[in-house]
Amino acid sequence: MAQRSHSDRRELIREHAFSAAGLTAAIALVATIVLFFVQLFVTSRASRTAFGLSFLWRSEWNPVTEQFAALPMVVGTLATGFGALLISTPFALGIAIFLADYAGKKVAEPIKYLIGLLGGLPSVIFGLWGLFVLVPLVSKFEVWFGNLVGSEALVASGTTGVGLLAAILLLAIMILPFSSSLILESLLVVPAELKEGALALGATKWDTIQSIELPYVRKSTVGALVLSLGRALGETMAVTMVIGNGMKMPRTLFDPGNTLASAIANQFLEATSPLYVASLIELALILFVIAIIINIAARVILRRGVQQ
Amino acid sequence: MKNHGRLPLIAATLLMIGLALSGCSSSSQAPAVTNLSGAGATFPYPLYSKMFDTYNGVTGVRVNYNSIGSGGGIKALTDKTVDFGASDAFLTDEEEAAMGAPVLHIPTCVGSVVLSYNLDGNPALKLDGTVVANIFLGKITRWNDASITALNPGLSLPNLAITVVHRSDGSGTTSIFTSYLSAVSAEWKSSVGAGKSVSWPAGVGGKGNDGVAGMISQAKGSIGYIELVYAVQSNMPFASLMNASGKFVVPSLSSSGAAAAVASDLPDDLRVNIVNSPGADAYPISSFTWILVYKEQDYAGRTLGQAQALKNLLTWVLTDGQAINAGLSYARLPEPAVTKALALVGSMTYDGTAIP
Repeated sequence: MAQRSHSDRRELIREHAFSAAGLTAAIALVATIVLFFVQLFVTSRASRTAFGLSFLWRSEWNPVTEQFAALPMVVGTLATGFGALLISTPFALGIAIFLADYAGKKVAEPIKYLIGLLGGLPSVIFGLWGLFVLVPLVSKFEVWFGNLVGSEALVASGTTGVGLLAAILLLAIMILPFSSSLILESLLVVPAELKEGALALGATKWDTIQSIELPYVRKSTVGALVLSLGRALGETMAVTMVIGNGMKMPRTLFDPGNTLASAIANQFLEATSPLYVASLIELALILFVIAIIINIAARVILRRGVQQ
Repeated sequence: MKNHGRLPLIAATLLMIGLALSGCSSSSQAPAVTNLSGAGATFPYPLYSKMFDTYNGVTGVRVNYNSIGSGGGIKALTDKTVDFGASDAFLTDEEEAAMGAPVLHIPTCVGSVVLSYNLDGNPALKLDGTVVANIFLGKITRWNDASITALNPGLSLPNLAITVVHRSDGSGTTSIFTSYLSAVSAEWKSSVGAGKSVSWPAGVGGKGNDGVAGMISQAKGSIGYIELVYAVQSNMPFASLMNASGKFVVPSLSSSGAAAAVASDLPDDLRVNIVNSPGADAYPISSFTWILVYKEQDYAGRTLGQAQALKNLLTWVLTDGQAINAGLSYARLPEPAVTKALALVGSMTYDGTAIP
């Protein structure tokens, strides 16, 4: 009896200790995020006092005259992120549905393995591939498109191939493994009874996918897409190598542009004046806020989806 | 009397270094300084790592150099976390004020920036300052522009769009190049200016020398600026430039060195821009790269031993160490610059008195 109560007590202590450790870890996570924000907010003070909110909508970035503003990079970040998402989503859905419902195991397994491999490649490799393979293709397209519309102005920045379009295409490829494998995972857990029930009622395979599987995974699909968008918005190395790193407002998809992450990575190392450094940190703050807004928006969309 | 006091000290230091080398330094003695640390510019990194490796072999003093960028090096020296900083551009007055104490600029080599291009057949291109400025201003947009063909009578240049490639990251290379453009073009000076990163009127940006070189090799009709060392190592074509005395000069180690050899133009503090140098054989886009140290070495609890070790290192870099430069494609310092730099090293103090 005494033996038993002793082991009970040990069990209890263990449980408390585990719960305390878990709580500490959870608090640490929240604290880290809050500290990130506070740190970025405090260290960007010089820039916030100098430029105020106009930092968000002006577009001059000139380290020589110490005039800084974020709009071109915000536009570049959102354009490349959403552009990549727009292009890659149909492919991601197609791949996931094919692997879940059409491909046999012998076909699906190697493809899944390759997708995993693609997702694990360091981004600098994507960047190199982008610069040496994708960019020349985009360049050819620019020449063709320039001749087609007969407008020099559209491709006035030259036909090097680097620019927003190259970055969008590269990011679309980079986020594809993420979104497709996440969507696939959720398709695989659609209860077999539901699918079999639909088929028993005389639904075709396509009907089942359309009216049973896709609605069932809508929530996790949005989640997968938001995760992928997050990766696209924060991607730095690969984007830097193909986007052209122009600090001016891009006018067309062929223009060189820049993203918040890429601008920070490019310039932080050699930025010496306090205002310059603070402005770069404010770019990081904006990227942080964009990430938060997108996550909140995703939650709102999800909740609405559930209510309907 | 003072000199008498110093001699045993040097002897003791040497003895301690010797003991440390032979691995039997006794713990009761004050430790000899066998470690120095520096941080800064990436441009001279290959040179510094070779120099410091050799120095370690000669003296046993280990020098850790982190190539974190000039900005980082200046910050590390300001924060007093390193013995020396390294920068491709001399400190602005604002940066020097932030240091809180006088800083010495010790040049270590002369670096040059070349204009590299991608044209069929790699023609030997000749350019002058005005043309280069107008290309980078976006005013000359085609290779067969009259102002380019006028400088290259023997060549038939194509009717091809010029793509300007510049650095996207802040860099000493950009600082040197834009200083040159500001020196030769009033319009560049007023509308763009000089700095480690500027607001480029035209073109696309690549990260690092390799980024720019990669972009140039990708795009027909492109032109960009890279370090001479990098262009030589990667076999890229580069243009001859007309210098201030009206002569076309091919960038090379000797023409880079010539830019720094105009003794009368070197100020004693060597905080000087040598772009567009008046020397007859000088390549116009050249610059020193500097090691930065505090003039007064008694700060943040530093010992006299540390100050001596640093002084010895700098003296060696300016004398024996210079032999290493050419092998790694860095131009060695011309004699007048070495003399003035040694005088600067000699002016270092510890607690107000010269370091023995």
